[in-house]
Amino acid sequence: MNGTEDTRFPRWRAASLLRNRAFLTVLIVALVWIVAAFAKPGFGSYGHLRYLLELAAVIGLVAIGQTYVVIAGGIDLSVGAIVTVSAVGVPLVALSGDSSGAFAVIAILAAATGIGLLNGLGVAYLRIHPMIMTLAMATFLQGVLILIAGGTAISAQNPLLAWLGNARIIGIPAGVILWTIVSAAALAVLHATPFGARLFALGANPLASALSGVNVQRTTMAVYAVSGLTAGLAGVLVLGMNGQGYVGIGDPYLLASIAAVVLGGTSILGGSGSYAGTIPGAILLVTITALITVVNASAGWRSILFGSLILLLLLLSGRESQRR
Amino acid sequence: MSNLAPTHEDRLYWPVQRQRNRSLYGLFVVVAAFVALYAYLFPGLLSVAGISKFAQSWLPLALVSMAQAILMLTGGISLAIGATVSLGAVIAATTMMGPLGVPGGIAAVAFSGLGIGALCGVIAIRLRLPAIIVTLAASFIIAGLALLILPRPGGAIPGWFSDLLAGNTPAALILLILAALLWKLYLATPLGLSLYAAGENPVGAYRAGVPVDTARIAAYALSGLLSTLAGLFIAAQTGSGDPVIGNAFTLNSIAAAVLGGVGFLGGRGTMRGAIAGSLLLSVMINVMFFLGFPPVAQYVAQGLIIIGAVALPEITRRFRRAR
Amino acid sequence: MTLQPIIAARGVSRSFFGNPVLQDVSIALLPGRIHALLGENGAGKSTLINLLSGALAPDGGEIAIDGKVLRKLTPSEARRAGIAVVQQELSLTSELSIAENIGLGAFPRRFGLVDYATLARKARAVCALVGLDENLSTPVGDLPLGRRQMVEIAKALFREPRVLVLDEPTSSLSAHEADTLTKLLHRLRQAGTAILYISHRLNEVMRLCDYVTVLKDGKVTADRSLQGVDAAGLVRLMVGRDPGDLFPKWTPGKDCPTIVSVAGFSCGLLRDIDLDIRRGEILGIGGLVGQGQEDLLLGLYGALPASARQAAFNGTQSLPASVSKANALGLAYVPADRKREGLHLIHSIAWNMMLPHFGHASPLRLRDRAGERELARQLADRLSIKGDLTRQVQALSGGNQQKVALAKWMPSDPPILLLNDPTRGVDVETKREIYVLLRRFAAEGKAIVLSSSDTPELVHLCDRVAVMREGGIARMIEHRELSEEAIVAAAMGAEPARSAA
Repeated sequence: MNGTEDTRFPRWRAASLLRNRAFLTVLIVALVWIVAAFAKPGFGSYGHLRYLLELAAVIGLVAIGQTYVVIAGGIDLSVGAIVTVSAVGVPLVALSGDSSGAFAVIAILAAATGIGLLNGLGVAYLRIHPMIMTLAMATFLQGVLILIAGGTAISAQNPLLAWLGNARIIGIPAGVILWTIVSAAALAVLHATPFGARLFALGANPLASALSGVNVQRTTMAVYAVSGLTAGLAGVLVLGMNGQGYVGIGDPYLLASIAAVVLGGTSILGGSGSYAGTIPGAILLVTITALITVVNASAGWRSILFGSLILLLLLLSGRESQRR
Repeated sequence: MSNLAPTHEDRLYWPVQRQRNRSLYGLFVVVAAFVALYAYLFPGLLSVAGISKFAQSWLPLALVSMAQAILMLTGGISLAIGATVSLGAVIAATTMMGPLGVPGGIAAVAFSGLGIGALCGVIAIRLRLPAIIVTLAASFIIAGLALLILPRPGGAIPGWFSDLLAGNTPAALILLILAALLWKLYLATPLGLSLYAAGENPVGAYRAGVPVDTARIAAYALSGLLSTLAGLFIAAQTGSGDPVIGNAFTLNSIAAAVLGGVGFLGGRGTMRGAIAGSLLLSVMINVMFFLGFPPVAQYVAQGLIIIGAVALPEITRRFRRAR
Repeated sequence: MTLQPIIAARGVSRSFFGNPVLQDVSIALLPGRIHALLGENGAGKSTLINLLSGALAPDGGEIAIDGKVLRKLTPSEARRAGIAVVQQELSLTSELSIAENIGLGAFPRRFGLVDYATLARKARAVCALVGLDENLSTPVGDLPLGRRQMVEIAKALFREPRVLVLDEPTSSLSAHEADTLTKLLHRLRQAGTAILYISHRLNEVMRLCDYVTVLKDGKVTADRSLQGVDAAGLVRLMVGRDPGDLFPKWTPGKDCPTIVSVAGFSCGLLRDIDLDIRRGEILGIGGLVGQGQEDLLLGLYGALPASARQAAFNGTQSLPASVSKANALGLAYVPADRKREGLHLIHSIAWNMMLPHFGHASPLRLRDRAGERELARQLADRLSIKGDLTRQVQALSGGNQQKVALAKWMPSDPPILLLNDPTRGVDVETKREIYVLLRRFAAEGKAIVLSSSDTPELVHLCDRVAVMREGGIARMIEHRELSEEAIVAAAMGAEPARSAA
């Protein structure tokens, strides 16, 4: 029977690794790090790499939800605003007798999930295109945030945030540990549960999914809720690392999350990909940014360099075959 | 019977145009209602000066909505519209006072728009990369170019040119009508009509002999052109250039096109819808401003109105079904 | 006297990724001849068409137009030489009008602009040929599928082709439209057009065509006049063995309890329908295209909003409100358009088979990979789907894709199967396998509802046939009264010759 097993499900072969986009992205990151470590003294130091990972953790957390949404055939343009909501919201909520700050954090994470649910509601039940729904949500949140928080930075001091921002466990920053744990859970859900399989179904062919008994609307709601939650989590981490939140603090994470997802090999058209690629994608992104800062160019050149590198990496890491 | 004289039977162009209005009557009514509300709040609108002023605030949004709609019709999208608008503005503000003069400046703005648009198109279409990512990366590059040309707000536009476009003249309205007419002309060419086919059914269109890739790349080039021209107009309005002035236009252009019924998957929608969508958005902003909404509340209202307008057909459908 | 072929392929070969798809194939299209191209799915018909229309280049052999051998035939050269192909998949743009679609890619121009007056005149002429009497400014998106197919044919005629290739043109046409097409083809033959006609409907081929080329596994197994060939002989040439009986022997079901019963059922086009579905029988749904057959299946399946005065579904007293509820009640649905509605083309065969399970399993429980593999292997063995199950479904032929679409429902063993044209575009061999399977299901006591555009299928396979017309059941025909004539007569209404206006 072994023979039929092999023809039905061929054994894993090392050669297939080379066609694995996630693995290729890891290779690119490793290559960039090695070259940079030789070219620039100090780049390869443990402290610097740890710092890069800490930065990548925020992008990586936002990109969990973004990966889910993109695999399910949508896109979430409100993640930046949700990061801000969370970074500005925690200090605002933490006013009365909540000494550890846990209540504030949980309340804000629930709010972020709720915002995601609203996105999902619009996409699933009102059939608003994801881009429009999440864009309008971002516009709306931006207005609300300015109304509530105004233009000033709000600082937050509570033990939980301080721990998230500064603690090291056996030399590893708490933020990176948080990212590792949440990533493991995210990967397991995506690849080892029926819910994860539903995301791939939805992104590849929503109509066929519905006719196969997948509850498309509920799954869509859940996906955007996850995206809200992870963006909220990222906001809490940013707040912990920065010590203060202000309107606009989450803006850079919108494009970064999309870029990380795409660099990691997830198809922007939906239906295929993995968070396993997004992780090195996020690390690659902060590495590029760090390298560009090192080059010491003007803002204009930095921007041009960043855009060109994303384009170049996109060409390297394989093209999207046009499916439609 | 002569085959040369067009008979009644041969009239096709106008019936086709009428059919394209069909799904837009609802939008036209909403737009008319908002314009009426605005005219009621601000009676000064109904004068040459009032209309001129309003058209000036509307024109840039109308142009970028057209830029976005062209791409969406071919199944593409651009996240670089805002950056391209900024680039147009800074090129205008740095060339027009120089040796090139106003005509040279206009030419520089137009060619840079066409060139950058075409380049984006070639990368996205020929290399088969997804448009949303290519234009995302392009937005960084174009924004960087704008910053290189003009690191901080500055430059200048000749005063007479500013007065001509954005002074007390209906120039903006005339330009808008001109843009709409040129679009009609383009859509009456084989390449223009190919937009729809390339957007909805590229494989079938290719088999039928439609130059799919050319039509798409041309759409990107036109989109770039319209964006930089919008930047030029903004520079004329403000009298100087600002390397980040266009940023808000990326999202607003998508919003206006979608309000106007242009679909994301290509081949769905009409330019007149997109222009009407941009008018709706413009009037809404003006009305809120007039009612004394703080600028911040405008964000909130804008978000709600966009969702409401886009969701309206689905809500009414569900309501009808429930009865 | 021998006529010069307008286009001829001589000994062409073509392979994809090392798999030979065509080997040493020759075909010659003569003016004034309707040439049938037959073969199972995957026999290489599409590839041959693509070679003739310049969309692909052959690896070996040569293609000659008017006797002149061309080094390389490009799509535009083929078009200029007067070769027009009506593909199975439509190439229309729904937002554009009928006339604009017809002219697309070959617009008459004046000063660089589309010459709408000339376009209207020429488009009207070709529309008259194919019996399209709609207003030319109507957007194609407003037309039903059958009419769109006619627009597609008009589009090909607009280019005044010398060679017209039709790939399964009648698959979505009503009887009336198919009739118009037949007349048109006769007229084109008279006018000296060479026609290549591809169809899975053998009696259509026998009636219409003069000459046949049969492909099997990329090789020509017959290239001859159709005179003196019978349908069975053609099937033998296509499948390479005796066809035997295409349909399994019909045996009356015994003791057929009703499992689904609706009264006053309305959904989409349907108005006020009464219907009983019984265990152990195949209930056929026939009629012209678009008379509400699909709405009936989807409404029963909970995929379209429906209402009924009375409903009894496998023990419950209401219509399923959603697909999940319908699945829970034991209904399964296999759609007609498997690429759009039935399968996830980019995912693997095994994954597609597991999808209904993913849909109803508790969302966050860990998947049992080994169990999934075992199940997929069993399903593949049972339906004789060969080879690697980790391949993407889009790599399979149409027949095998249909088997996957069927297989995915088997693990839950649903007692009620709703099938929408399951043999459309499926090769003869797979058709036979599906027929046997359906009869076996019925014998096991399942209830099967089979909507089909293939009338012989309804006659030979079904216990009862409900013929639909204008959103209602025109006639319920019991097995002993079943015949193709009875179904067609009921489908056309009181006067069979009535036009479909």
